[in-house]
Amino acid sequence: MTQILKPVRKALGGIHPAYHKELARDSAVRELTVPKSLRVSMAQHLGAPAKANVKKGDAVLRGQKIGDAAGFISSPVHAPTSGKVADVAEDITAAGTRAQAVVIEPDGQDQWSPSLPPAMKWEEADSAALITRVAESGIAGMGGAGFPTHVKLSPPKGKTIDTLIINGAECEPFLTADFRLMVEQAGRVWTGCRIIRKILNARTLRVAIEDNKPEAIAAMEKAMGNTEGDTAIVVLPTSYPQGAEKQQIFAITGREVPSGGLPMDVSAVVENVGTAAAICDAVVHGYPLVERVTTVTGKPVVQPGNIRARLGTSFADLVAACGGTRGVVAKVIAGGPMMGLAQFGMEVCTTKTTSGLLLVPPSDVSVFESSPCISCGRCVDACPMRLMPCDLSQMLEAEDYLGAEAMNVLDCIECGCCAYCCPAHRPLVQHMRSGKSRAMLRRKQQQAEKKA
Amino acid sequence: MGPLTTALVVFTLTGIGCGAILAIAARVFAVEEDPRLAEICAILPNGNCGGCGWAGCGEYAKAILFDKAELNLCTVGGTETAQKLAKYMGVTVEVAEKKAAIVLCRGNAGNAPRRFLYNGVADCAAANAVDGGDKICRYGCLGYGSCARACPVNAISMDGNLAMVHPELCISCGKCVKTCPRKLIKLVPESRHLHVFCSSLDKGPIVKKACKVGCIACTLCTKLAPDSAIAMNGALAVVDYAKPITKEAETLVQKCPGHCIQQA
Amino acid sequence: MKEYILLIVGAVLVNNFVLTRFLGICPFLGVSKSISTAGGMGGAVIFVITCASGVTWLFQRFILDPMGLGYLQTIAFILVIATFVQFVELVMKKTTPALHRGLGIYLPLITTNCCVLAVAVINIQANYTLLQSLAFGFGASSGFALALIIFTGLREKIDRANPPQSMRGTAIALVTAGLLSMAFMGFAGLVK
Repeated sequence: MTQILKPVRKALGGIHPAYHKELARDSAVRELTVPKSLRVSMAQHLGAPAKANVKKGDAVLRGQKIGDAAGFISSPVHAPTSGKVADVAEDITAAGTRAQAVVIEPDGQDQWSPSLPPAMKWEEADSAALITRVAESGIAGMGGAGFPTHVKLSPPKGKTIDTLIINGAECEPFLTADFRLMVEQAGRVWTGCRIIRKILNARTLRVAIEDNKPEAIAAMEKAMGNTEGDTAIVVLPTSYPQGAEKQQIFAITGREVPSGGLPMDVSAVVENVGTAAAICDAVVHGYPLVERVTTVTGKPVVQPGNIRARLGTSFADLVAACGGTRGVVAKVIAGGPMMGLAQFGMEVCTTKTTSGLLLVPPSDVSVFESSPCISCGRCVDACPMRLMPCDLSQMLEAEDYLGAEAMNVLDCIECGCCAYCCPAHRPLVQHMRSGKSRAMLRRKQQQAEKKA
Repeated sequence: MGPLTTALVVFTLTGIGCGAILAIAARVFAVEEDPRLAEICAILPNGNCGGCGWAGCGEYAKAILFDKAELNLCTVGGTETAQKLAKYMGVTVEVAEKKAAIVLCRGNAGNAPRRFLYNGVADCAAANAVDGGDKICRYGCLGYGSCARACPVNAISMDGNLAMVHPELCISCGKCVKTCPRKLIKLVPESRHLHVFCSSLDKGPIVKKACKVGCIACTLCTKLAPDSAIAMNGALAVVDYAKPITKEAETLVQKCPGHCIQQA
Repeated sequence: MKEYILLIVGAVLVNNFVLTRFLGICPFLGVSKSISTAGGMGGAVIFVITCASGVTWLFQRFILDPMGLGYLQTIAFILVIATFVQFVELVMKKTTPALHRGLGIYLPLITTNCCVLAVAVINIQANYTLLQSLAFGFGASSGFALALIIFTGLREKIDRANPPQSMRGTAIALVTAGLLSMAFMGFAGLVK
């Protein structure tokens, strides 16, 4: 019997937005056939973008490495299907930046590369070999951050990990990709969990699921069966941002990640269920990461659902696979409504971190006029990192970047809770982002000066 | 002793006593002070108002001597004090020729359309961070006024979402140059009036879609200008302000097909 | 013991020297631009006023009263306080130069502050003992420091909040001080 536990602490702050998950939660994952063109970005992860190792005219096979990792915090990129390289050019990303992309014209054969790594007996393999397999397979955090997984699973000397948390919370409204993954392929997720546990040699394993996903809890319970050791499912109360890793660690273990620190500082690692499933594929079958499930949802979408598509599929193709749109689409968001990025074109392509595509009708778009802060304090109540967004935004508006850094603007996780509840409609997250980038710039300059 | 005498004696003694205590204390607790501090303090008005940002004239003097503080911060003393301080510190600013700032872009609301509605912080750096800015032109002026706010003498005005510098007000401090996230503002000699009002490195066809007055890299100006006074930097024509352009100026303005070469 | 606590609480909250008695407004408005300077000023004021309370009490008791020179109290106290503050500044400059540099101009500013003289005079008028005078001095100066720090915090936030041009600077500061004063009226009757 799998243990089911309650969290030990109530996560601080947070909000309860309307979730609208019913639009896509009951639709089983649909496979999208390979579109006519795939534009695979080299910048699919945090850290240095990969370097394309193919050129125009080259033939590629599915799973073949087309981008080499550039440094330690980087990930390789693999061809999602077989075909010909039509171009290697600069392309726009979902974040609005530009990065190199390999444009592939599929040949329709969808042939796997013969030089894929072999299946591994992971119960007998050692951590180093498993980590190398994860690195070679181009696996990055699929919850949205895209941090190269092999780096997360290799904590530096001196940091032991005793708790592994598998994140199935999916707190972002509208998104249901992780939910369907757990309901339909709980076995894959569970194998991935066990592999990660072996890599980290973690004593405690917790699978975190929010209480608005009873079917997922049941499916995971069934897949996990009789578990060994300190293993359990933790049912978290539904709130946003319960899925943020620092908040999850606090709720499940009661440990607080120190300011400016990482989860490994409190001996914990958090991995998304999608990442766990991808690790299972990579280790058990040798498949690199070439596809992912994306929730395509929103009122204008004719058939909202969860689409499994190859990386590099354009947003236009994803929406077409959902029956297209009805009515006017005023806003397109890559991700969810809280932390997603608004797009200005449908030609942007999916990457390893595209968990959702949300289309918004004009009636639901808020075009706001912001006014001065009235010091109501709602943002302070809502901030899950216990910051003071009201003061921070005033400082950043007055361009007092040093003051903002002293008030820990670098700890902001950009979840959007403050902006959600601000009655003066202040663009708080944007202020925080500008403050964070200035603070990082200042620190870099300081370090450069020290070296000089 | 009568009361008046008592009072006088007591207070004289107290006065002498206090004076003595202070005199001895000043001797015992004497601190070596840089004599230059006293000299700088003599130049400052000594009102100790704190207007410079330091706690009194003594602190400002220390900041000038040891922390390389700017010499023009005394609001009470004004330019006269600043000049005297400059003379004392032996700092002379060699100005070969007075420079003024110029915004090398004419992509206002009529010329350079927007791609999407940007609804957020009205700051150019913030807008530039969102999807590369809300204009089709990736290089042009975003028009949110960050440079105008940075200018200490209000020499920049926003005219139809385009920053325009009033050169007669400009004091060449360079704050606007540092503020512009797209590096559009340059400090050029005040006497030069002919400029290429475009900073887009995109190729001609892309520029045509982005702006009505952008540089389309036809290279005609490089042939018309004397002695390579205008040269191409990729797909952008750039004026070399070290070389004079006098009689060719009118022709250049007339012949430029992109209408981006203008006299300021 | 209880009477000293009541004395201190009364001076800090009930009859706050800045917000209820309206003394020492000059440094209150002048030094309230940033928390670090306000903190330094508060500390300096506590030290100076407490010691000055003691010194002036002793001067009154052993020099002015025996000689029947009570009517010269004001002049005498100013003399004593000024000397004392100068002496402290000299000692500080030698022994704690960092602190001296931080406080800088504010130390002499305490001398010309009506608050110090008021504390010294009230001590004599209320016939306090030396210990009571010291306690009252400590309470009065702590009240000043408390009001100063609260006011500085408010002012920093208000300056950042971009008030209308006509209200910027001293205008909004005085309005805030008035509101803070009203807030402190809530303590009336706390100590009989």
